[in-house]
Amino acid sequence: MSFYSPVITNAAEVAQSDDLHLFRYVEDPEQHNVDTYEKHGGYVAWKKVLTSMQPDEVIAEVKNSGLRGRGGAGFPTGMKWGFVPKDSPKARYLICNADESEPGTCKDRVIMERDPHAMIEGMAIGAYAIGSHLMFCYIRGEFGHCIDQVEAAMKQAYAKGHLGKNIYGSGYDLDMVVHTGGGAYICGEETALLNSLEGEKGLSRIRPPFPAVAGLYASPTIVNNVETLAAVPHIINRGADWYKTMGTEKSAGSKIFSLTGHVNRPGNYEVPLGFNLKTLIYDEKYGAGIPNGKKLKAVIPGGASTPYLKPDMIDVGLDYESLASVGSMLGSGAIIVLDEDTCIVWSIMKLIHFFRHESCGKCTPCREGTGWLEQLITRIEHGEGRPGDIEKIDDLCGNILGRTICPLGDAAVMPIQSTIKHWRDEWQYHIDHKKCPCANTHEFK
Amino acid sequence: MATETKKDTRTAQQAPTVTLTIDGQEVTVPKGTTVLEAALGMGIHVPTFCWHPKLKSVGACRMCYVEIEKMPKLAVSCATEAMDGMVVHTDSDLVKRGRKAVIEFILANHPLDCPTCDKGGECDLQDLTFKHGFDDSRYDFLKMRFTEGAVHTTFDDVRIGPEIILNRNRCILCYKCVRANKEAFGEYDLGAFERGNITEINAAPGREVSNPFSGNLVEICPVGALTNTDWRYKIRVWLTKQARSICPFTSSGTNTLLWKEDHQQKIFRCTSRRNDDIDDGWIADVTRYGWSYVMAEDRLQTPLVKKEGKQVPVSWEEAIDLVARRLTEIDDTKGNVCIGGLINPQLDNESLHAFNKFMRVTIGANNVDHRLDYPMLPAQGDTAYSILSSQPFSIADIDTSDVIVSFGSDMLKEHPNEYLRMRKAYMFRQAKVFTINPYAVKNADIASVDVVYAPGTDEIVVNAICLAAIEEKLVDAGRAAGLKDKIVPNSAAEAAETAGVELDDIKIIARSLADGKQVTFLVGELVARCAEREPIAAAIANLNRLFGLTDKGQVARLARYANSKGAEKLGLTPFPAPEVKAKLERIFGGWPENEALTTDKMLVQMNKEAINAGLVVGANPLLLYPDREFARECLERLDFLVVCDSFETETTAIADVVLPLASWAEYAGDYVNLEGRTQHAEAAIKPRFHSRPALEIIEQLARAMDKPLFESADERRREVAEVLAAQAVLPWPNDYFEVSFDNAAADSEYTIPVFVGDDPHHAGHLTEKSPSLSNFVSEAYVEMSIELAAKLDVKAGDSVRVESEAGKVIVPVKVSDYLDTDAVFLPRNFSSAQVNSLLMRKKRVNRVKITRVAD
Ligand SMILES: Cc1cc2nc3c(=O)[nH]c(=O)nc-3n(C[C@H](O)[C@H](O)[C@H](O)COP(=O)(O)O)c2cc1C
Ligand code: SF4
Ligand code: SF4
Ligand code: FES
Repeated sequence: MSFYSPVITNAAEVAQSDDLHLFRYVEDPEQHNVDTYEKHGGYVAWKKVLTSMQPDEVIAEVKNSGLRGRGGAGFPTGMKWGFVPKDSPKARYLICNADESEPGTCKDRVIMERDPHAMIEGMAIGAYAIGSHLMFCYIRGEFGHCIDQVEAAMKQAYAKGHLGKNIYGSGYDLDMVVHTGGGAYICGEETALLNSLEGEKGLSRIRPPFPAVAGLYASPTIVNNVETLAAVPHIINRGADWYKTMGTEKSAGSKIFSLTGHVNRPGNYEVPLGFNLKTLIYDEKYGAGIPNGKKLKAVIPGGASTPYLKPDMIDVGLDYESLASVGSMLGSGAIIVLDEDTCIVWSIMKLIHFFRHESCGKCTPCREGTGWLEQLITRIEHGEGRPGDIEKIDDLCGNILGRTICPLGDAAVMPIQSTIKHWRDEWQYHIDHKKCPCANTHEFK
Repeated sequence: MATETKKDTRTAQQAPTVTLTIDGQEVTVPKGTTVLEAALGMGIHVPTFCWHPKLKSVGACRMCYVEIEKMPKLAVSCATEAMDGMVVHTDSDLVKRGRKAVIEFILANHPLDCPTCDKGGECDLQDLTFKHGFDDSRYDFLKMRFTEGAVHTTFDDVRIGPEIILNRNRCILCYKCVRANKEAFGEYDLGAFERGNITEINAAPGREVSNPFSGNLVEICPVGALTNTDWRYKIRVWLTKQARSICPFTSSGTNTLLWKEDHQQKIFRCTSRRNDDIDDGWIADVTRYGWSYVMAEDRLQTPLVKKEGKQVPVSWEEAIDLVARRLTEIDDTKGNVCIGGLINPQLDNESLHAFNKFMRVTIGANNVDHRLDYPMLPAQGDTAYSILSSQPFSIADIDTSDVIVSFGSDMLKEHPNEYLRMRKAYMFRQAKVFTINPYAVKNADIASVDVVYAPGTDEIVVNAICLAAIEEKLVDAGRAAGLKDKIVPNSAAEAAETAGVELDDIKIIARSLADGKQVTFLVGELVARCAEREPIAAAIANLNRLFGLTDKGQVARLARYANSKGAEKLGLTPFPAPEVKAKLERIFGGWPENEALTTDKMLVQMNKEAINAGLVVGANPLLLYPDREFARECLERLDFLVVCDSFETETTAIADVVLPLASWAEYAGDYVNLEGRTQHAEAAIKPRFHSRPALEIIEQLARAMDKPLFESADERRREVAEVLAAQAVLPWPNDYFEVSFDNAAADSEYTIPVFVGDDPHHAGHLTEKSPSLSNFVSEAYVEMSIELAAKLDVKAGDSVRVESEAGKVIVPVKVSDYLDTDAVFLPRNFSSAQVNSLLMRKKRVNRVKITRVAD
């Protein structure tokens, strides 16, 4: 049976390209089968690693490639692997973070549904690099089909000897466990994920210690995003230098962007990092512009956690540095486009509701602050805002930003702060006129 | 072997330090210290809510912010390790703003119901708001309020345990309760539910918060979210004073405060008084709630004298005169040896010493014992067992041990404080824990290997470990020489088979004992109260010698009661340690000549009517002696029985004279804890009703017999100090002990091994008089595994008849969380069920059969 979520991808374009690789086979209905995957060059990198490379060489290759984490923070992957203490007597664990819950993000899902072996192969290589013999894939519970696909792929991989004992006669043992989450956004945050995996409540942990030193069961643990890991076999096969030919100097390689919101062709597109945001939204090959000829109001470039961009800011490269230079972030690469009819306050109300609901509740500023902010923002959107509310919101955001255990607190307030900065008039309008200027255009409340 | 050098490296290693600057002052602290601890150590106040010195830092409340130069954000000092060269500011403007914001967030949904909150006056939130907050709120929404499941009073209270009331509105979600429950106590009856701003603390679904340490949760709650019923709304905290006391129920002497009010002469509660050497600030519920027996209204009020078969109240003068007269009479007519004395080892040093002197000098008999709940003991005294029992022991050394073994000890029930220390070593330093017992115990959950051996094969298990070490060449061959010939059986495999345990488990333990850098090997009551404790102790002595354990750690049999160690050191036994005896002999000006008698021997003599009078101080042998019928028969044969107690008990019921005894909280006294540490407990209130402290009673008696014990209080104290100073540690022998074994066959009809001990919420016979503890457990039960319950076709709560050769009781079934063999456990603390009637003093393992009572 093959059921795929009807997501638009640019697989055809990728297939034409010499370099883009993540989406090359995602439209092939048989790609999830190990035979097809192998036919397309699958598990060659894993075999190469196991039979001819030392763990340090793997880490060095990935480090040289410039690959950075695709889960949101963009941390250099090879460097992270290098943090695992060499002399620790404890077991080490590699965890693939497949909890994909950042609003707007739907890229990992495509990989898991259509090309799950790419992820498994990347996991295996990562596990070997850090000396792990047990790896976990933590998949969000709602991803029923992904879970089925990954579990099926894992069984095939075992059956074909890609996983298990003494793989390829190398003497290396590697086992894999698929764990499904309970549907909490916070469990995508790596330390909450660790707690969840241990059977505890999904509360974030304070760092240090970093997971690389004391993670799962207080043992060295590496957590990587699905997309990050899926890129690894290609880097091994084609080399760090090849990978660096894509993207910018500091943001190497390609990345999948999930384009959603008011665009004609919402979908997942693999492009080199540094790709122009405006092009992605307007080019016929990708977003194909905004429906009904509407004008653009705002773009959230990296998932719900990142600061909004105004229309005059979108002529920018989709890479970590360029987005930072315009005050936002690449995040998970989920681009949410809002047209001119969308109320900024309304959109923020939706976001803060999400973050309030998903706050784990461990640290005071985020737990209490998101609740308070939601109430304030909701009353403004409903025309009940009071003079001083905007200043209060701004101030409360300042009391949360940088003051929390995990980045969820920051994620909750950065978009708010950016909209107060860029659309202060619109906020003020709600209070002065006791109503939302775009109220009638929202389909649902 | 390497063991000697290992010990040296442990002490020689100088801990590395770091130097930093806090508020302009330079300070050097051990590496690994947090910035918070460094600041607190300098006397700098840094406010905290979620930090607890004995729990892992979580950085949740964000109250402890400090500014560290070169760091972009405010740092939470409780979770930031002090580093060389750090420059820390604890009170900068940024820090002040950060704290204010936290207080504002916390107060946003806080009910501010201080006027009706019982935490008022000792609430961290009140205090820190007072100091760091502001007097206005920018929060202009309706406050969130938890009412679900609450009694709809203004307080929205929910009872979540026998003693705990939860008010979720006041909770500031510091998570200390949940963390302590898990990290320190290993309990999961309390948890955090939901998420984000609707997170709530509550009892686990379908459960009560009733674990044996649950009272600590109330104590560490920084606000009035958790309060306990024995204290709340009885008095405002600032009207009370505190007496510095210690726990009278356990042998650790955990330090406590008794909160009292002088005009009413009332005690209101007991809390911890943190002493890191002993208790880490955690106290067991039995310690926290047990005090309330002192305030019970059914305390014995006056002396009672049996007249025409009925006990009637009399004055102290009359009672003392009568006792003095009768004892003198019996002494004169039948000889002084005809009087036996039993005393409770929960009493203070001076009472014990006075009793010793009274028995051995005034009466002139060697009939003294404090070990009332032990069966037949070797008539000539123990050898190996005495050595084992005398060994030094340090609670704090458990913390640093990398291998910890508890052998023959249901730690939770016998030694709750050391039970927690084991958990701490496991939790915080990844110590390897092994539990070796005749039935599965609660701390098996942290054990690397949990060995449950066939009851009655204790010494064989120990031998198995020794044999495994020899066979696997884990120990020096020279050291091992000679052992094999002295013990049975011949091989580890055979021993494992006899004991019904896995050889692989035994090998793992042997390896850990050999490899361990610092080993703590603890022996408990299942050995101490075993008729065959001598060979078991001999086997342990062999084990110690083979592995050199005391060279790199400690091997100790843990004393059981508040002053058991004191009683041993003061020579309240038939056979005191040689140096103790020498000291006593000098003080007493001689030593009675008659054969020294243990409790059991005294009873035998009573039975033969060779002892005609008995003096029992603070003890209830009829409830606790492990053979009720025998004890009753013997005590009833006496011509004259005097019993001092705080309550009427089954033993006072058969006495000729009953004297009301004051409790430990009603007089000041010194107690020696299981480490040998002497600690002082202040009096909280005056003796209630007409009760008197044991010391006073004994001294009066001696005076009435015209043989005053001491010239002055000074002399008395000097004597006690002198005896305590005697060397009571006996050296290990230079050779291995012989350990033989004969495997007694089980009775055919009675197949289920039965173990009798204390319920985790009780200790001895007094705690059932504490209303708070009775709220947890108020009647006996028979605890069994799920499998046994299924086999017997009974479920929790069913009434069953538990029957042995000696007697029977009818009790409800309790299905155990951790028992996993067919052994059963019954608590001995309740007079309503006479569980000691199941026991026979000569039996090594008592066995029962269990049948359902038709309803
Ligand atoms: C609130 C929150 C949610 C997150 N959710 C995810 C997620 O769903 N998937 C993911 O890969 N990373 C998520 N992250 C990031 C992870 O914590 C972690 O940085 C990432 O998995 C590391 O992988 P990478 O280095 O490959 O990016 C989340 C972070 C936060 C703060
Ligand atoms: S920031 Fe929010 S989600 Fe993260 S630990 Fe704090 S309360 Fe939990
Ligand atoms: S109940 Fe008390 S201890 Fe527990 S989280 Fe709430 S405030 Fe903290
Ligand atoms: S005390 Fe440091 S965060 Fe709570």
